[in-house]
Amino acid sequence: MIYTRKSPALLMMGLIMLGIWYLFESGLLLGYIGHLGGGKYKYTGEIATVPLYFGIFSVVVGTWQWQAKPREGHLDYYLSTVAGAMFILLIAMLVRWFLAPEIAVASQALGKIGNTGKHLHTILGLNYVVLGILTGILIVNFFKIPVWAENGVRLSRLGLKTGVILLGTLYSAAELKNLGGLSIVMFGFFVLGSVGLVLWIGTRMRIPSSMGGVLSAGMGVCGVSATVAAAPVVQAKSVEIAYTIGTILLWGVGCMFVFPIVGHLLDMSHVQFGAWAGTGILNSAQVAGAALAYQPDGIETLKVAEIFNITRVLVLPIIVLWLAVWYVKREEVAAAQQVNVARVTFEKFPIFVLGFILLFALSTTGVFAPANHYKGKYFGNTTESGFKQENLLSHEQTAQLAEESSKVQRQDRQQALQRLIDHGKVMSIEDDDVLRGLINAKVLSKGANKILTKAHKSVRHTAKKIKAFRDWITWLFAFGLVGLGMQITVSAMRQAGGQPAIIGGIVGAIKAGLSLVVVMLFISETV
Amino acid sequence: MKNILLASHGTEGALAAENRVLEMCAPGVRITHLLVIPEFWKDMLGDDWLNNSSTRMRFEHYLEMELNHEMNGHLWRVQDRLSKTSADAAHEVVLGRPDHCLTDACEQSAYDLVVMGSPRPKISRGLHSRMMTRHVTRRLKTPLLVVPHPCG
Repeated sequence: MIYTRKSPALLMMGLIMLGIWYLFESGLLLGYIGHLGGGKYKYTGEIATVPLYFGIFSVVVGTWQWQAKPREGHLDYYLSTVAGAMFILLIAMLVRWFLAPEIAVASQALGKIGNTGKHLHTILGLNYVVLGILTGILIVNFFKIPVWAENGVRLSRLGLKTGVILLGTLYSAAELKNLGGLSIVMFGFFVLGSVGLVLWIGTRMRIPSSMGGVLSAGMGVCGVSATVAAAPVVQAKSVEIAYTIGTILLWGVGCMFVFPIVGHLLDMSHVQFGAWAGTGILNSAQVAGAALAYQPDGIETLKVAEIFNITRVLVLPIIVLWLAVWYVKREEVAAAQQVNVARVTFEKFPIFVLGFILLFALSTTGVFAPANHYKGKYFGNTTESGFKQENLLSHEQTAQLAEESSKVQRQDRQQALQRLIDHGKVMSIEDDDVLRGLINAKVLSKGANKILTKAHKSVRHTAKKIKAFRDWITWLFAFGLVGLGMQITVSAMRQAGGQPAIIGGIVGAIKAGLSLVVVMLFISETV
Repeated sequence: MKNILLASHGTEGALAAENRVLEMCAPGVRITHLLVIPEFWKDMLGDDWLNNSSTRMRFEHYLEMELNHEMNGHLWRVQDRLSKTSADAAHEVVLGRPDHCLTDACEQSAYDLVVMGSPRPKISRGLHSRMMTRHVTRRLKTPLLVVPHPCG
């Protein structure tokens, strides 16, 4: 079978990408970039490189696809995915570089909203992630996915999984331990709670066991993914599957928009929001979407939310096994079947999590950043380790610090401050920690604290490889989520209904509300 | 009315349409039963991305098997009912948008009448996949009989 579709589409997309690059390089876009924020516009570095590389690649492969006669085989299959992948990438580029900044400009022109101190686009989370997903949803529902792009659109899953694997490089051992523990506690309570609640309400409403089983997996664990995994095990009827998936998709898409708004209104920290989204949103894809919607230009929220997603997917085989045993025991018709524990565990085990663990393990050895890094940043006060001599504190700055040093009472702070004054730079990682404590204590004047902050920043460096990983992760998630948006159809969401919609509504609302209360009460702002 | 198209996929409304068609059966009348598997089933994997391909394939095979089982049951039931009449019967199973499949079928063969059930009332249980849409009223050139829903 020949998979490659003869079409000039990929070639044309390549030319559009090269066109964007040329307009930028020749300065023709300068006026427009000025309108989008000028010096504050963050994407000039990306526009100078990304469309060039992918444009050339698309033109070469696109010309071949259009003109050459493909032969059956692996090469044909893999190359047939390129057009769809570039289709998603082009949409992600246009949304990230132009559409989202354009909306931000329009929103800023409206001024800040009430006493929130935030602009409308920030409160509504209208950034490149949400707009990208929305664009994907609009394309699939209004225009359909072009035939030449169908194979490539499926690659979006690979993009998300690769993004999660690369995320492994950004966790410190302490972060992973704390976040993992938090997610297990939250998940243990809310997964078991919602699975139990669905089964209990289901019994009261006298729904069939198969419907209760498939709905409890979807509502409790990870939405559509859990429904897909559990449906064959509990022998769900087609209408039950349609009701459940429709309900979860509708609820998930709604949550993706509502959660960031609530998060901004409550001024939640990244950890709090990540934990809430990771627990309260039913569907795993929308957890990542909401996390990036909440913090589009950083990945701290995503890091928290993805740990919850990883916990979900690790819990999935256990829940599927539990449901299988529950169903076999409950239904006499299925009694003849035996639950093959080894097969279920092997089939449902998420292999990509092994990649995440491998990269985390590699990261702790110091392959990507110095071993003492924390969140990808490491300490260095010598030229060899990245310190720039022009960042040494000036005579005036050290004099101001010396003048205010009498305000400092604690001995360790006095000593660290004295060493800073003597050398014009922070002398050790311990001193750096102590001086950060001094900044947070607000003992010194604003001006002195500014000097201390500058001294801190000049000895903290982001590892180049970690920075590259961050950039790749951002793009992989943007790519994956735009592609997943192209797989959310209104016709599937319209199937939401029947008892699953009622039970799903009740359990979903309780889960979202209760997890919000728990997060606000018990989770601190940092991990 | 010698050549009648019955659009039915097992809902309560469609059963009423079947009953009406059975009343029309007579020697020399040909009934074509059109059974549409709605295309939204293709989207039932939604935005799942956590599962590996074996789980996804297992789900697809399972869903396919379930739909096949349900459709065959419906097909055999209609076949059985029509075989007891004196009319000639034919069956056609297609995958797609129900309304588009209906207009396509009518464009491919010259029918004298199309019979279908009414959309179900909102309170009754069922999937959202309507055949009676604006597309049908605009494109259909064959006379159309919409049989009232048994629930009124």
